Amino acid sequence: MKKVKIAGCSAGWPDMMDPAIEVAEKSDAKYLAFDHLAELTMAILERQKAKRPDRGYIPDVIPLMKKLLPIWKEKRFKMISNAGGANPEQCAEEIIKLAKNLGIIGFRIGIITGDDLPIERVKELRAKGIKFRNLDTGEPDIDRVINDLVAAYVYIGADRIIEALDQGADLVIGGRISDNSLFVGPWMYEFGWKYEDAYWDRIGAAVCTAHLLECGTWSCGTCSNFWEEVPEPWHSGAPICEMGEDGNSIITKVEGSGGLVRADTLKEHLVYEVHDPENYIMPDGIGDTTAIKLEDIGPNKVRISKLGNKPRGKPRPSTLKFCLAYLDGYISEYIMIVPGPKAYDMAKRCEEFFYKRLEIVGLKPVETLVSFIGYNALFGPTAPPIDYSPNELGVRFAIKTRTLEEAREARLQATLSWYAAGVGTAFGAPSEREVLALWPTLIPREEVPTKLEMREVK
Amino acid sequence: MKKVRLRDICWYRSGDKGDISNIGLMAKNEKIYQIIKRQVTPEKVKAHFKDWVKGEVIIYPMDNLLALEIVMYQALGGGATKTLRIDQTGKAMGNALAWMEVEVPDDFVVPK
Repeated sequence: MKKVKIAGCSAGWPDMMDPAIEVAEKSDAKYLAFDHLAELTMAILERQKAKRPDRGYIPDVIPLMKKLLPIWKEKRFKMISNAGGANPEQCAEEIIKLAKNLGIIGFRIGIITGDDLPIERVKELRAKGIKFRNLDTGEPDIDRVINDLVAAYVYIGADRIIEALDQGADLVIGGRISDNSLFVGPWMYEFGWKYEDAYWDRIGAAVCTAHLLECGTWSCGTCSNFWEEVPEPWHSGAPICEMGEDGNSIITKVEGSGGLVRADTLKEHLVYEVHDPENYIMPDGIGDTTAIKLEDIGPNKVRISKLGNKPRGKPRPSTLKFCLAYLDGYISEYIMIVPGPKAYDMAKRCEEFFYKRLEIVGLKPVETLVSFIGYNALFGPTAPPIDYSPNELGVRFAIKTRTLEEAREARLQATLSWYAAGVGTAFGAPSEREVLALWPTLIPREEVPTKLEMREVK
Repeated sequence: MKKVRLRDICWYRSGDKGDISNIGLMAKNEKIYQIIKRQVTPEKVKAHFKDWVKGEVIIYPMDNLLALEIVMYQALGGGATKTLRIDQTGKAMGNALAWMEVEVPDDFVVPK
């Protein structure tokens, strides 16, 4: 049976670079896949590109490629990446420049575009009668935010990745290609799977398995429940997955790397951000994470196989996830640290001071949150009443306002609440930031024509 | 019957999608799975988080992993880019849930 190895070499931006280099140097993985994007990242990159047309991609890709390309010259693995962000063309341009400087010849790049929609196009689609219901809040359409839109991008699938590989790409680079598709694409290409009835079970298996790989070292014991027993996480291995044509696979990592691959460490990732486990909706198919089985079969070696007769996948959805980013006021933050004795009482006094000051200066923020780092900043209202005397507490003020001026003024009042604390209070660096809010919605697949361009370094 | 906290009998990992927080709650063994499957209900989870979870809570059982996938709507103060919380993506929501108590028989032994 044909088997193909793919390594998950990046979890987001930023990430450690050396696990990817180690995979390239020491493993026989045929594909290295790099996910660099998170929900917010695309909006930030769009804003960068608006300011400077030669920006808007993940800059880390350049130092990363500088290390990978010389290894590629010897080993000829394939790379799939969404580092293009809001500007895949420029990203490819920079990589081509780099490759030339390194004396690399015959390196073929497939550039995928069409995932980000100009705001004008969004307006056209509305004129056609398409509505963009907010998946978080249920709001039926984007009327409220239409004038504040700054970016719009679609989570695209593996279609063009498959095409690029078929045309001999050594590197496929795109923008908001779904994390998942960076893996599903090469497997579909290698095994000749099509978006047809005969393949949904196996595509579903690939969708579920890709979910285990798209966060890189996360499934090898980083950010883990088992952190105390994970060896040397500072040089954690990246997950390497060998899948067979039947959709079953084995996950390992590079021999001698840090980290831990165990059914448990994969399981904790399989439950991460999946929502309905029987319907894990991805652009290439709907995976059923309850239809697979994880088994330890050796040290740092886990088998993933089909559980019973339940199909592991269903046909891909007719819509794609579509994210609209819009300007939504400002947030300012301020943190100071109050010392004991009576740190908690002191923190409460500072909180009271802050709200009284807002009243005195007549400021009405959209929203405020005062939390005590060391007590309830992470736990919020679930934190049990404090029954101990902490050495120190961080007091964090977060304020949302409509204007930048209000954000500054609110932060100033937070800063002044230092006066209410006793002797010995330390203050940190304040800041304001513009808020880019996201409007997650769906868009019909046919409204998102993507494009593939092939280039070669000569 | 006696009470134990989820943190002593489960593992957990939480993440975000927009304003939706999800917690994967994994039982350390089959017996514990049956306990959490019965006792960790949407009502209880919502009550535990008080005003930090404003929307609906849906819980999906995953028998193959002895886990519950807990999906909480309007649970991150507006979502990572809008929220005033320091934990913008709700990575500690699992830890917060783990303080919740469930009832176990008197002879129940907390696994290592």
